Amino acid sequence: LHDNKMSTVNNHHETSRKELEDASRLPALETAYTDILRHLGEDTDREGLLRTPLRAAKAIQFLTKGYHETIDDILNNAIFDEDHDEMVIVKDIDMFSLCEHHMVPFFGKVHIGYIPNKKVVGLTEFLCFVLVSVQERLTKQIAVGISEALQPKGVAVVIEAAHMCMVMRGVQKMNSRTVTSAMLGVYLEDPKTREEFLYLSRRT
Amino acid sequence: MDRSKQNKYSSNEKKDNGDGGSVLNGHFDGMVKRAAGGPQAPAAECASHRSTSAVMESWKEERTRSLEDNEMSLPSLAAAYTTILRGLGENPQRQGLLKTPWRAATAMQFFTKGYQEKIIDVLNDAIFDEDHDEMVIVKDIDMFSMCEHHLVPIFGRVHIGYLPNKRVLGLSKLARIVEIYSRRLQVQERLTKQIAVAITEALQPTGVGVVIEATHMCMVMRGVQKMNSKTVTSTMLGNFREDPKTRDEFLRLIKS
Repeated sequence: LHDNKMSTVNNHHETSRKELEDASRLPALETAYTDILRHLGEDTDREGLLRTPLRAAKAIQFLTKGYHETIDDILNNAIFDEDHDEMVIVKDIDMFSLCEHHMVPFFGKVHIGYIPNKKVVGLTEFLCFVLVSVQERLTKQIAVGISEALQPKGVAVVIEAAHMCMVMRGVQKMNSRTVTSAMLGVYLEDPKTREEFLYLSRRT
Repeated sequence: MDRSKQNKYSSNEKKDNGDGGSVLNGHFDGMVKRAAGGPQAPAAECASHRSTSAVMESWKEERTRSLEDNEMSLPSLAAAYTTILRGLGENPQRQGLLKTPWRAATAMQFFTKGYQEKIIDVLNDAIFDEDHDEMVIVKDIDMFSMCEHHLVPIFGRVHIGYLPNKRVLGLSKLARIVEIYSRRLQVQERLTKQIAVAITEALQPTGVGVVIEATHMCMVMRGVQKMNSKTVTSTMLGNFREDPKTRDEFLRLIKS
């Protein structure tokens, strides 16, 4: 069990320490981006690009701020005791990440289902930013995170995403989506439970 | 760097390509002005670009990057990406990231490959004399670009319409023009204008209209984080600007 108050205080310290770390790393990121612009053949003194290295550095830090918040942190402040043991589904959660192979965004929707075992969680603000990751790993991390926080009877996570590294370059398939899933507990063992989740989380 | 061929352009827009514009920003209205204190460029070259006829020449000056340049820049780009990974707190030595700096560098070069291509190469042999003077529209051209402010993708659709004046352009060339200008570090307003101007200068049509609707990841993934918002920009030249009925027909036909 987690003491919500203590963890809030700890989290706050963690976050501000990481914010300071972020700020101290900014100059190195900025220099790297200036190099990149120059080696792409751009003129770094032109007006539109003058502050771009700084903006790009801040942008990529923002896109990867998932490092500041572990699944634990997000969930621990919103666990409630509730005598509910029917399936709970939160679907169409927006997700953004950077693919770790090309450092190019991929984004899509996450659908989460779980069967509580006396504990439910508030998943409203579950907008995930995770660093350079691989979609398969991300799906598993979310499922395991929820599993460890709630000890539910089962967890199911499905992610459907578009990978810009595929859409904007390489094969350039505009409309293709990658779908990954992770099933734990009863979702893994009982096909009917899994089916109910997949049916209810389907796009309407 | 291949920036010995520098052109300065003045822009009539209030957008931020300002007087620091280099050849990478394309050409506007055939007017060229040398920015004070800008990067070095021979005065003689600038002088020759002060007339509209010389705008065609400016196309020839457009290329700033070659495949050799790409190869030579790759190690430095990869090194920069390694720094970025480290600066984000990642371990560049872990298995999934080992070759990432190289892949990311190549990907970035691909996203900016518009700098390697010249309009004149693409268009030269696809302009035909045709006695057609009704509107020609190519719509729903998928477009991918990089926002020059945050280095984050922009993607959307381009709709192009023009009224030929005895000369028409191969249809896929319109899409190629879009590719050349969009695969760069861009500002959507500038991209729209560059496409319109390129078509104008290639064909001298009676009028050109270009509409772009795009989603900016820098807006969706960060900052205000508005998921569904789109930015729409348009440029209307010639008849499309002067005659409201023509513009109307164009806008109605591109709506679907």
